[in-house]
Amino acid sequence: MAVVELDNVVKDYGATRAVHGVSLTIENGEFCVFVGPSGCGKSTLLRMIAGLEEITDGEMRLDGQRVNEQRASERGLAMVFQTYALYPHMTVRQNLAFGLENIKTPKDEIVRRVDAAARMLQIETYLERRPKQLSGGQRQRVAIGRAVVREPRVFLFDEPLSNLDAELRVAMRGEISALHRRLGNTMIYVTHDQVEAMTMADKIVVLRAGRIEQVGAPLELYNRPVNQFVAGFIGSPRMNFVEGTVDSIDDEGVDLRDRTGTAYRAAVDGGGVERGDAVVLGIRPDHLDVGGSVGHEVTVNAIEQLGGDSYLYCERPDGTRLTAHIAGQTAIRRGDVARAVFRPEYSHLFVKDTGVALPRLTIGEAV
Amino acid sequence: MQSALDTIGRGVGRLYAAAFDLLEWPMLALQRLTGAQRIAWIFLLPNLVIFGTFTFLPIILNFFYATSGSDAILLQDRPYVGLDNFATLLACENYLQPNSCERDIFWRAVHNTAWFVVLQVGFMILFSLVTALILNRDIPFRGFFRSVFFYPVLLSPVVVALIWKWVLQRFGVLNAALEGAGMPTVNWLVDADWAFFWIVFVSIWAHMGFYTLILLAGLQSIPSDVYEAAEMDGASKWRVFSRITMPLLMPTMAVVIVLSLIRAVQAFDEIFVLTGGGPGSATLLILQFIYETGFAYQPRLYGLAAAASMLMAVVLLVLTLVQLRATRSRAEG
Repeated sequence: MAVVELDNVVKDYGATRAVHGVSLTIENGEFCVFVGPSGCGKSTLLRMIAGLEEITDGEMRLDGQRVNEQRASERGLAMVFQTYALYPHMTVRQNLAFGLENIKTPKDEIVRRVDAAARMLQIETYLERRPKQLSGGQRQRVAIGRAVVREPRVFLFDEPLSNLDAELRVAMRGEISALHRRLGNTMIYVTHDQVEAMTMADKIVVLRAGRIEQVGAPLELYNRPVNQFVAGFIGSPRMNFVEGTVDSIDDEGVDLRDRTGTAYRAAVDGGGVERGDAVVLGIRPDHLDVGGSVGHEVTVNAIEQLGGDSYLYCERPDGTRLTAHIAGQTAIRRGDVARAVFRPEYSHLFVKDTGVALPRLTIGEAV
Repeated sequence: MQSALDTIGRGVGRLYAAAFDLLEWPMLALQRLTGAQRIAWIFLLPNLVIFGTFTFLPIILNFFYATSGSDAILLQDRPYVGLDNFATLLACENYLQPNSCERDIFWRAVHNTAWFVVLQVGFMILFSLVTALILNRDIPFRGFFRSVFFYPVLLSPVVVALIWKWVLQRFGVLNAALEGAGMPTVNWLVDADWAFFWIVFVSIWAHMGFYTLILLAGLQSIPSDVYEAAEMDGASKWRVFSRITMPLLMPTMAVVIVLSLIRAVQAFDEIFVLTGGGPGSATLLILQFIYETGFAYQPRLYGLAAAASMLMAVVLLVLTLVQLRATRSRAEG
């Protein structure tokens, strides 16, 4: 049980700054996910929290207490590694017990905790096996078990599912969420997979180039991204972007035109822009209605029919590429010219130079 | 720099291609002549001839020499004596006391070799391990130290021996330094115990770089995330070493132990040049005994030398089998 606070935390590697003054509070019992493209500093940040990397500047507090100078083992955290990092020469039981033996836990207590963790993670039958005799999913359970037996204040996960196949990843996602509900510990989870972030997190922290872009609940990030980067990063397939200039502004939204003179409208607060400003309109593939008799003309370059879902890869006459998602199947064929409707209440608008989002006035997807 | 290397690389590549173009038609002609199956034998032939003449044939001849007597060199002049040579070597009242043996000098060499193997291998592995552990850490000038420890391995054994002779002889560097410091000098290579100490020392100095390198490679093959996991698990430095590093280094260690055992049993050149086996027979090892019995002293007892070398071969064979097992379990592990 713990509150993790980062106060203007900095990490330098020689002359290179990997993390630029990150401040963040992770509440007790929260499932917090750090997400971002590779090289964004999310793993570095986690390793600094773990105590595996020194904090160059700033302060880290656990339950209000400064822990910068504490060694990894003294912080009372447990980490699950991407590569599992199991001790290859030890049996599963020895792997689980090692951390407890290090702190001289009584033998019967070790047995009790190891058995309890093994039961919870359903690895009882492999306790006497070595890691190399286990499958990837089983190894990942053992790695989680090794964290569980130590009864840590905070669980840290460093891309724990990225070495698993797709099916197993979905299953383990559910198991880790269940583990969180059951134990109620604070958990910090690093991933580059925004689907993992969306499905597991109470709170998502989107990072880019060592800086926090946005912190919020999954749907908040989806519905109200603060900038074009977050808008593009959260949501799959990626949000569509159309460049244009502001045409007019009124109380209910902003009108804009793209290079070809085609008009669009977004239901956003236009207070931050003026007529003639360069802006970017954003709309998610889920909200682009293709196939009706009205709307903007697009050429369909490719179609992916998954049965339950269809994805259309289209192009506007000026070369702007658009992705559309259609629930169910579609009669549209490759090469067809179709019409796409951009609905203002589903549209986002960003200032082109800064990427900053204009606040949305009506949110189509809100329930 | 890079582009110069590229140019050289491309040049070599072109030469290589040209050479193979030239070889193409004679090879095709040869293949037509012999058939695709038999051409393999033609490629193997040069190696078979060399291996047969200089390795396999001597092994067979050795067997005949070991079972025949007299100092004649031609096999047809040598009378068959069965296992007499072995019996002579092994005739002993008490194997722990060379003086009670018929060939006391052989048993002295066996004793010396046994002590040499135990001390040289034991201490060398200890030093190599410590050195490898230090070189594996993030110390300043790590690359420099890594090469420094490896340099003696590159020296010819004779050079090694001459360097140390220069240091250890009566008016050598070491005694000059001692004298300069006002301390009593020692005639290092004439005192039996010191001479034995120095052959062990020099041999460790000359070879430990090689084993340090192997152990270093072994240490580096241990994934760093395992150490990080141990750090998170709160393992002390000693626990990390004893429970993580050593067990994971064991397969490499097994290879190192067996390899160095084999080489210690075969030790000869540095010691022969440094002490010549002396003083007396204080640093005489088996290989030198075999050499001197067969080729240096009159009468030349080829049979006895051959028998001794066969006994030694048995020991080496056992060690080699152990090594094969160790490397195989490493490959499987």
